[in-house]
Amino acid sequence: MFIPPKQIKISLITAPEFNLEYLWWLTILFLVLSVIYFVGVFLIRNKITANNSRTKAKKVEFSPMINEFLFYDDSITKEEKMNYLNLKVQIRELIKNKFDRHVLTEVLLDLRKDLSGQSQQVLINLYKDLGLHHDAYEKLGSSKWQVVSSGILELTTMEVDEPYGLIIKFINHRQSTVRKQAEIAVVNLKEEGIKYFLDNTKYKIAEWQQLKLLDVLRHKPNYTPPQFGLWLTSTNSHVVLFSLRLIKYYSQNNAEQSIITLLKHKKKEIQAEAIECIKDFYFVNALPTLMMVYPKASHDIKIAILDAIGELGSASEIPFLENLKATERHFNIKGKVISTLNKINPESVLPTKNISKIDFYETEQEAIEEKPENELLETPQEPIVTTEVEEVVVNSDKEEITVEAPLSLPDTENEAVNENIVAEDEINSTELSTEAIKNAEEFTTPQALVDEQPYEIDLSFLPHVKDIDETNEVAEENIPEDVVENEVDEFVVDFLPLVVEEIIAQEKDEIYAQDSLEPTFILDNESIIDQTEFTTTDTLDNDLSNEDLSIDWTSIISESDKNHSDNASVEPIVKIKNGSVSFSANFMPEEELETMVILENISELGDCRELGLLYDIIEENNSELIIERANELIEKFSYQSPRPNDLLGEENSLALSVFTDIYHLADKETKLMLLKEIKIVGDEKEFRLLESIIDSESGSLAKEAIEALSAIKSRLSLPIVNEEIKPTQDSIFNVNFELEIAKKAKKNIDNKETGSTLFDQLCSMSNSLYNKKNG
Amino acid sequence: MGKRVLLADDDQLLASLLDFRLKKGGYTVHHSINGKEVKEYLKNDMPDIIVSDIMMPYFSGIELIDYVRNDLNSNTPIIIISSAGNEQNVLTAFELGANDFITKPVSPTELLVRIAREIDK
Repeated sequence: MFIPPKQIKISLITAPEFNLEYLWWLTILFLVLSVIYFVGVFLIRNKITANNSRTKAKKVEFSPMINEFLFYDDSITKEEKMNYLNLKVQIRELIKNKFDRHVLTEVLLDLRKDLSGQSQQVLINLYKDLGLHHDAYEKLGSSKWQVVSSGILELTTMEVDEPYGLIIKFINHRQSTVRKQAEIAVVNLKEEGIKYFLDNTKYKIAEWQQLKLLDVLRHKPNYTPPQFGLWLTSTNSHVVLFSLRLIKYYSQNNAEQSIITLLKHKKKEIQAEAIECIKDFYFVNALPTLMMVYPKASHDIKIAILDAIGELGSASEIPFLENLKATERHFNIKGKVISTLNKINPESVLPTKNISKIDFYETEQEAIEEKPENELLETPQEPIVTTEVEEVVVNSDKEEITVEAPLSLPDTENEAVNENIVAEDEINSTELSTEAIKNAEEFTTPQALVDEQPYEIDLSFLPHVKDIDETNEVAEENIPEDVVENEVDEFVVDFLPLVVEEIIAQEKDEIYAQDSLEPTFILDNESIIDQTEFTTTDTLDNDLSNEDLSIDWTSIISESDKNHSDNASVEPIVKIKNGSVSFSANFMPEEELETMVILENISELGDCRELGLLYDIIEENNSELIIERANELIEKFSYQSPRPNDLLGEENSLALSVFTDIYHLADKETKLMLLKEIKIVGDEKEFRLLESIIDSESGSLAKEAIEALSAIKSRLSLPIVNEEIKPTQDSIFNVNFELEIAKKAKKNIDNKETGSTLFDQLCSMSNSLYNKKNG
Repeated sequence: MGKRVLLADDDQLLASLLDFRLKKGGYTVHHSINGKEVKEYLKNDMPDIIVSDIMMPYFSGIELIDYVRNDLNSNTPIIIISSAGNEQNVLTAFELGANDFITKPVSPTELLVRIAREIDK
């Protein structure tokens, strides 16, 4: 750096002249100070060491005396008694000295910690006999908090309760150490101390202090705790919390209403502790309050409430939980809701996430069968499990069921089908499922089965299949057995009475109406589970005993082969004619199959970025199965990228814009940048997003959105509608005008920008650099 | 001459008190204040019972048990005194061959009874 010679000269001239004589004086001064410091340290250290040695020597001197006192026995000889009396005199002489008295107190306090039983009691008596507690009294009057604290500790350790009246004054001492020591002393020294403490304490009771106090109470011999419910009305919330813990510890379940009321307390800790008490004491009456408190509770409290409902709840709480299951967004809480539901009603909610649909495996299997060598599809290496019994022939003693096709139904249809199966309901579902799975294992390859399998297989475990209209009629009217028999003329089942719950049947009617599916026959685990929903009155012991049911396999094979070769998508159909059930197969076209594989891959590996692609798939495909699967994935990924509900329209039209997700995850600055980008590159897909921004936002975002909308519309030659910015919410912080700098101030700033001082120039340079960088 | 007790404890006050009580109970007591002294003593003499604190300088009570049982191959009863009665310490002491375990605060009279019982075994 260049320094002008003029400046160097000035600096040399202005340097102070220093007298070297002063330097010597300063050196001597610092040497003397350092000598004093080291001598001081040496002396203090020696004093401490000497003091320690002296204390140690005194302790050694006192030790045998104390031992004699502690283990004094009346049955000793006269000489020993004389010796004991001499020791007493000697020790009394010694404690006249303050230092000796201090050392003796220290020894006794140390031994008090290490001794128990009778020796401990003798030690305490010795302390009092020698009058050492008077020193502790004096300490209580000290102005130093540490001395006061040590005095209280000494009296507490030696269980001297005479100064109880003095110690209680320190319960609300401003120094926390003294206060805590006093709290322990008060609780320790007298049985009623805890009452006084809970009545009078004004300060916070720390968690650690609560533990210590509880420990003191626990170790009190023959202690009868008071009714801690009395302090649940305390104005000190820490007292309430501590009381709740004491209530729980001492199992005092006679404050039910107070505890239930505390569920509405503003403090989370108290709420949590109240919930714990309710759970422990099984206060079923608290359930309505628990449900009332739930919506406004914090995350942790919600979990605790659900836990309590799980413990105490019954079937009457299920609607509340079902509602939560549908509305709760938080992952943990939703999981807890489901576990609570299952706790009250075991296995009422089954796993649904990441469970592949049966038809997914089926389609894969069919694809493999079609082109085993070409390997058209690269499917993930997952075990293919077929749980459907696809072609089964029952050959019981008297009945035969004819099944006409291997089944491969889309999932939605499967569900509908499962519901269509009227479990003539005397089926023992456990037996059925076990047998069904066994049979399913035997028939994992439908085509092979069709080729090789003889057409008569024991199908006694299968549920009966009826026409949907008949089912509905039966369900609605709850017709007794004989009436059903008369009405169902095509598929006569006369073995057992059928009882179907009306509500369930109505729900199923609605589903049927929506799906407008033909009744089909399929047996898989889901159908078995679904059947259990129907009320059954008997078992299948006598089933299929009176009816002749036959399965016409030839028609199945011929139809399935035809369908297979045509590669056409055919709706599965069940025809019931004179006791025979006929089915037609559903084969998915290759193109749809590929799309399904893509969807499954998206499901495995994709995220919210695939939303656009999914919408495209929906637009391009007509298959209900694909549309449904794509919608499922959209729902899944939309959940991954949470957005305000109001922006998610019914048709999810907002997601048409690629900017939607990014926009809702961005901060304000980024949103503005995005809107500028939309203004430049956007098209009609962005309309909904921009409109929603105009509707929901205010200020600069809405302004930018209007500009972007106008720009796109003008670019696309569309009529421009004047959008208005939504007025901002009333707030004293919201201003609807630009803040302007007063002219005078502005003038000053302008002047400063080109100021004449070095600082001004530096400032202006940095400003110009900044402006240059930012354009 | 009574039974010999090796009392190993670095807390001189408590050791002195126990020493006094044991002597009064008729035992001959040797007091060591650290592990080194204990080791030296055990090389030359084996007491009838060892009463040791678990925390000692140079040589802990656990190490002492190991030393007596494995290095000296002695079945001398060992009673361990500990201020921290955590489960792991207790289990380790018993696994290595301690005969009894007492947690502080100690009742000298109770200790006397336990010593008598171990010696009588």
